[in-house]
Amino acid sequence: MLTQQLLNGLVVGSAYAVFALGFTLLFGVNHVLNMAHGSVFMWGAFAGLYVVQAFDTSFAVALLVGMVAGGVLSVLLDFAAFRPLRRRQAADFATILTSIGANLVLLAVAQKVSNTTVMRFPFEFFPIVMYEFMGLRIQLLQITIVFTGVLMVTALVYALYRTGFGRRIRSVAFSGNTSRLLGINAELVNAEVFFVSGALAGLAGVLIGVAFNSVHYLMGEPLLMQAFVIIILGGLGSIPGALLGGLLVGVVQSLAYAYISSTAADAIAFAILFFIILIRPTGIFGQASAVMRVQRR
Amino acid sequence: MSTATNAILRLEQVCRRFGGVHAVNEVTLSVPAGTITGLIGPNGAGKTTVVNLVMGLLHLSSGRVLLDGADISRAEAPALAQAGVARTFQNIRLVPHATVLDNILAGYHRHETAGFWANLLGLPSARAEAAAHESKAVALLERFDMPMLAEHRAGGLSYGHQRRIEIMRALAMNPRVLLLDEPVAGMNDAEAASLGQIFRDVAAEGVAVLLIEHNMRFVTSVCSYLYALSSGRLIAEGAPDAVLKDAGVVQAYLGT
Amino acid sequence: MIRLFATYQSVFDQILIYSLLAMSQYVVLRAGTFSVGSAAFAAIGGYTTAILSTRSGWHPALAIACGVVLGGVVSAIMAFPLSRLRGVFQAVATMALVQVVVTIALNWEDVTRGALGINGIPKVATTGWLVLIVAFVVALLHVLGRFSIGRAMDVIREDETVAVSLGMSVAHYQRIAMILSGLLAGLAGGLQACNSYTIKPEDFGFTLLVNGLAMAVLGGRTSVWGALVGAAVLTTLPELFRVFADYRNVVQGALLMVIIIYLPNGIADTLFGLAHDRRVRRLVTGLEPRAAAVSDSGAGSEVTR
Repeated sequence: MLTQQLLNGLVVGSAYAVFALGFTLLFGVNHVLNMAHGSVFMWGAFAGLYVVQAFDTSFAVALLVGMVAGGVLSVLLDFAAFRPLRRRQAADFATILTSIGANLVLLAVAQKVSNTTVMRFPFEFFPIVMYEFMGLRIQLLQITIVFTGVLMVTALVYALYRTGFGRRIRSVAFSGNTSRLLGINAELVNAEVFFVSGALAGLAGVLIGVAFNSVHYLMGEPLLMQAFVIIILGGLGSIPGALLGGLLVGVVQSLAYAYISSTAADAIAFAILFFIILIRPTGIFGQASAVMRVQRR
Repeated sequence: MSTATNAILRLEQVCRRFGGVHAVNEVTLSVPAGTITGLIGPNGAGKTTVVNLVMGLLHLSSGRVLLDGADISRAEAPALAQAGVARTFQNIRLVPHATVLDNILAGYHRHETAGFWANLLGLPSARAEAAAHESKAVALLERFDMPMLAEHRAGGLSYGHQRRIEIMRALAMNPRVLLLDEPVAGMNDAEAASLGQIFRDVAAEGVAVLLIEHNMRFVTSVCSYLYALSSGRLIAEGAPDAVLKDAGVVQAYLGT
Repeated sequence: MIRLFATYQSVFDQILIYSLLAMSQYVVLRAGTFSVGSAAFAAIGGYTTAILSTRSGWHPALAIACGVVLGGVVSAIMAFPLSRLRGVFQAVATMALVQVVVTIALNWEDVTRGALGINGIPKVATTGWLVLIVAFVVALLHVLGRFSIGRAMDVIREDETVAVSLGMSVAHYQRIAMILSGLLAGLAGGLQACNSYTIKPEDFGFTLLVNGLAMAVLGGRTSVWGALVGAAVLTTLPELFRVFADYRNVVQGALLMVIIIYLPNGIADTLFGLAHDRRVRRLVTGLEPRAAAVSDSGAGSEVTR
């Protein structure tokens, strides 16, 4: 039923939104397109699954571990792949290439570690509780996912706009040089943003891993492509854009999977991305200055 | 008021706002052909903004810019360059890993006549044109006393050399209007003097030169007319000696 | 012995074909365009060639020519909107384009036979022809780079603001670069089809995109030899890495990172740069017969005006 699919789409979309949020933060503040973001997501899921399998922990702990693992991995990624380039002020695509290289490494290690199998959470890891509400069937899991997503996003937005930490981040996003002149340690802020972005990705990883009960080393790749669609649709570097975009893509994808084939749905997503870039590259909320060539401003 | 009759470049009541701040506020000035007109003012007065407004990097909030009577307020930079307006930059902007010669040769782009296919396939017409431009570039290098540096990588040369390369690139365009943004900054008097002579020669060929500078000695030695800008407004204009003695100008610089 | 030669010959063929793809990528990078869509145009070229030569029975050379033209046409259509955008958007848009093309190839089964791919393509792109074609293209790009088009692209790539103040139309040159890139990629795709009997959709996916980009960057963005060097290195490396077996991807990924970070200008450009600097130093110290020796440090020569 349509509304049921819409609901499913919103649930999945909220996890996508969290993932895309981390991605857009990185672009907005550090001006990098982190092609390894999908692997951070995947390793977060791996970490969450590991603690559950090894220590029989609860869902909350798994989430926490996933976040921490994602954050730490993301910072390591920064040190290994992006920081050396920042020092040299290298061209944009250099960061794309190093992150692709880093992604290859992360994927290969994950493949080895997991033996290319699809891993699952223990049976009934998350209690299967179903509610009936206005003719719709909602699982406790779905509520939890949405709730966690909303909680994280609220916390992030609060941190960004109401704390000193957030002010420093917004300052560096606006201008790294100016921030340095004001005494802000831009490198530290960069690392902090990588951590936050990675934590969000890791969180989304555990959420999606539990929601579909499937954890495998390639789980992050299609998500990265969708993240592109999401942040371009919402506007590069825009937070409300990433949220709105994530929900939209989640809904559209759910509907498409239900009513058309999945491969066609993918093609539609990319075609939409392509046309958005051609017609309105700034997306819904993005800034126009990020797009235009040298011309009168 | 300088004679507007033979002015090639003219700004009329040009304004540029950034938010609530007037970076350039109702500036009217004329740059006649054959002379060097100076634009001075303390840092942040809006001098480079004026150049950017003329050169197509900024929209005018109001007013107009005229080139030989034609309104160029909305023209984009490539069209302006094709029309013969050249500029140098406050921060040196060269291609550092290209040779000095290649950097200068870029300035001849405006004069390309060999067709696209000729250049693509290396046909004789393109080769001939390239050779002609190259000999002109070498002549420029000799005029600036740097012919032996032709093959050097531009990025590895001294600041003084790099400034000259930028000026040579602008001259390669054979411009009608030359906007010089602090061309002798950081140079000693001897270097500045030799550049000043070159500027005088260029102006004598009929080019309208607008010179932005902080070096007052240099300004007095080469400019025949001066405009003084402060906080976006013109506060004085006239012969260099008079302007530099103007109370308002002195106050703007010393801030008392 | 013959088998050994055969294996090396196929690697050599691959290097030549990949070098065309790398050159396709090099052309756009030189003009400062961040288009990474060569894989898409290679797919168009490859499938056009395959379909025309197998199903329609065209002569393979004609089929390849058609593939080239179609690659150029599609890239020309894309070039106009793409030239209005800046870096990251061009990259993302062309990445999406690659995915779209692969998905079309997978799903338009009537024409492309979907995931099965197209078989039985006559192998006419033999080593001899490949060498000739690559040599011709290298010569063409070399000439292109030496005159005003190449110089304009260099300025546009380095500093767009300077480029426009010199009168260069940035969009115009980026469009030229993109169309040329599409033609070259179409050629690479067509030759690949006629060299390997079969083509499948996944041959032209994200992996090919990354490979082409890595070869161009590794070799060097400003000289056409860079594409050749990059293709040679990155095609032979996996063969050498066979010994790493499972960890091959790890090593490849790590190598990509290391090279981008520590050899940013690419192999060929760095070598050319060193050679150029050495020649200039010899000029200055009088080892080579040219103008009188002079120092280039300090505030210029004596002013005698």
